[in-house]
Amino acid sequence: MTTLSNQTPLKSAVAPRPQPPGHGASQARRELRAGYGFLVPWLIGFFGLTLGPMVMSLYLSFTKYNIFTPPRWVGLDNYIRMFTADPVFVKSVKVTLGYVVVGTPLKLAAALGVALLLNYFTRGSGFFRSAFYAPSLIGASVSIAIVWRAMFGTDGPVDSALTVFGLDLGGWVGNVDLAVPMMICLTIWQFGAPMVIFLAGLQGIPAELYEAAEVDGAGAWAKFRQVTLPMLSSVIFFNLLLETIHAFQVFGSAFIISNGSGSPGGMLNFMTLYMYKRGFADSQMGYAAAIAWVVLIFVAIVAALLFRSSKAWVHYAGESR
Amino acid sequence: MLAKRLAPVLGLALAATLLAGCGDDSDNTDPAASDGSPGGVDTSQQITLDLAFWGNDVRAEMYEQAVALFNQQYPNIKVNQTFLAFPEFWEKRQIEAAGGGLPDVMMFDYSYLRQYSENSLLLDLAPYLGNTIKTDGFTEAALGIGVVDGHTTAISIGTNAWAMYLNNDVLSATGVSPYAGGTAFADYDAWMDQVTQAGGGTVYGGQDWSGRIQNFEIWMRAQGKDLFTDESEVNFTADELKAFWQAGQPCRDGVCVPQSKLEEVYPKSGFGSAQTASELTWDNFGASYMGDLGVEQTSLTIAAPPTYRAGAKDLYLKPSMMHAIAATTDQPEAAATLVDFLLNSEAVGAVFGTNRGIPASATQLAGVDLDPLSQKIYDYEQSITDRLGDAPPVPVVGYGTIEEKFRVLGTELGLGTVTVDQAVEQFMSEVDNVLNA
Repeated sequence: MTTLSNQTPLKSAVAPRPQPPGHGASQARRELRAGYGFLVPWLIGFFGLTLGPMVMSLYLSFTKYNIFTPPRWVGLDNYIRMFTADPVFVKSVKVTLGYVVVGTPLKLAAALGVALLLNYFTRGSGFFRSAFYAPSLIGASVSIAIVWRAMFGTDGPVDSALTVFGLDLGGWVGNVDLAVPMMICLTIWQFGAPMVIFLAGLQGIPAELYEAAEVDGAGAWAKFRQVTLPMLSSVIFFNLLLETIHAFQVFGSAFIISNGSGSPGGMLNFMTLYMYKRGFADSQMGYAAAIAWVVLIFVAIVAALLFRSSKAWVHYAGESR
Repeated sequence: MLAKRLAPVLGLALAATLLAGCGDDSDNTDPAASDGSPGGVDTSQQITLDLAFWGNDVRAEMYEQAVALFNQQYPNIKVNQTFLAFPEFWEKRQIEAAGGGLPDVMMFDYSYLRQYSENSLLLDLAPYLGNTIKTDGFTEAALGIGVVDGHTTAISIGTNAWAMYLNNDVLSATGVSPYAGGTAFADYDAWMDQVTQAGGGTVYGGQDWSGRIQNFEIWMRAQGKDLFTDESEVNFTADELKAFWQAGQPCRDGVCVPQSKLEEVYPKSGFGSAQTASELTWDNFGASYMGDLGVEQTSLTIAAPPTYRAGAKDLYLKPSMMHAIAATTDQPEAAATLVDFLLNSEAVGAVFGTNRGIPASATQLAGVDLDPLSQKIYDYEQSITDRLGDAPPVPVVGYGTIEEKFRVLGTELGLGTVTVDQAVEQFMSEVDNVLNA
């Protein structure tokens, strides 16, 4: 330090000492090595646990593989069988799409509705925010699925309550027409997670915009249509994308409520459940892998369509339109 | 983000890969390779065996006691026990089988026997039979049941037969006298209709018998055909299946309990949930019905199932469960000693009663104090000797899948989500897929 004190401290910062040729390059290489060193754990995970299995499952999807004997290459047979000779799969696609298309918008509508109320009525909002968020945490649990099964059974609370209002529907669990609506009720009930995100989005909308709208004579509906929705569109898009993908993955609750059978009449036999049954109950791993890839492709297509459509309706702050 | 959200979907891929990675090891499971020569277990050496079975807490407690008795004789053999419910038990075994890590001694099911035997996953018991594993108590027929392609790879713990359970409490509430047993299926329908009429919408005569593959099996056996040949080929036609499912139509048209009601109680059956007065099932299901219903043993009686043709030999005795040893075990002699104890010991018989079916070994049966229900099961099996034919070939590989598909299509017929023609087409296609997997 004493030797350094004679030098102007800034000097070295302003005019670095000339480095021997190649020194900068070697430091860059060292930094690169260190960077990759830090990345190694992630890379191991990515290649070993994500990409490797994906490639393997892609390969298996072109084979017949019963676990006991080595996979046998069958080309596109699994995919052809799925769409031409397996009505159970076709039905599981329809059931899954129905669940996604109806359940997701309803869930988001519920989340947005409650978020608006919480944003408007600030009194006790902390309590209600937690209360409404709780189902998101426990909704996917086994116990809730069991409770749901009991609630929607014949003479269960839901049946009894509806009977009071003159709607004698009987149990929903065993009813072909009501099983999916029951599942949709379960997903709507878990609106807490998107609600919190909506709430954050709502609180980020500048109050001046509403004031300006009021000056222009806008009522509550006009403010919602002209200010809230456009300003919230990016959050809506985010929630829509996340919840759509999430809905495609419905598994645990359907498994528990139908006791792993996908009944009644295959109405809870979602694609993921069918894939699981084919793979682990029937030992048709090749076919199950093919179903996994079809699910992935479905999700990718829907995500791509959402991204494409977002250009028309999603408004990002600071973006000129 | 997409990849993260898809993690559960990709989980299958991962599992499949892990299985694939381990799969090659199973090639080393040639029974001859691990075939230790019998000559008595070494009592000086500390040995650890893994024992796996399916069941519930009650059975686990019984195995606990049985192993304690075993340890009195063989204190040097430590037995680690694990148990699961039936479906999970097989999911776990399938994965272990792929990785070459099956437990030394397993409870085994008839429907998986061919698959595991043909893939050399089970120890050929021939060197141990008659010495380490005593066979004096077994009939030839009982021993023959565990033979696949000339090799004995499993031994019956107990036997059972297809039967009909009747719930006397439900019947006395309706005032209908019990089903006599052994009539034509149409007469059984007529009897069920009486119960259903008297039950006033809360209790029914039974559930659609055409939803169970075992009823199709006895239907076909009465016509002289097993469902599958020795060569694992389909032995029935689509028209025969169609006729069978059509015969179940009256049941679905109001005679039997509506399928939607059964969906709510599944995996309990209509009988197990006290909604029906009768059910066709295996005769060792009595204990589990008692558990489901919470009734006394006297409430249940057993009758012979209806038949397609009077005088036919359509029924047969099958193993309710078996014991098998993994081909990969390091301790074949100790494993065989444990199997012998679990199969033949009188004391073990006293512990289990008929929890595992009527014991196949006469020595073990001698230790069983037959309770009233067990006595009924025993008497039932004695009473149907005229209807007992040869056992069908060991179930085809994938029989479990075929059986489940039959059950699911039965429920769909009941719910009206498929027609008989569609169900037949789907079933034949599934069978074709399974047999050519």
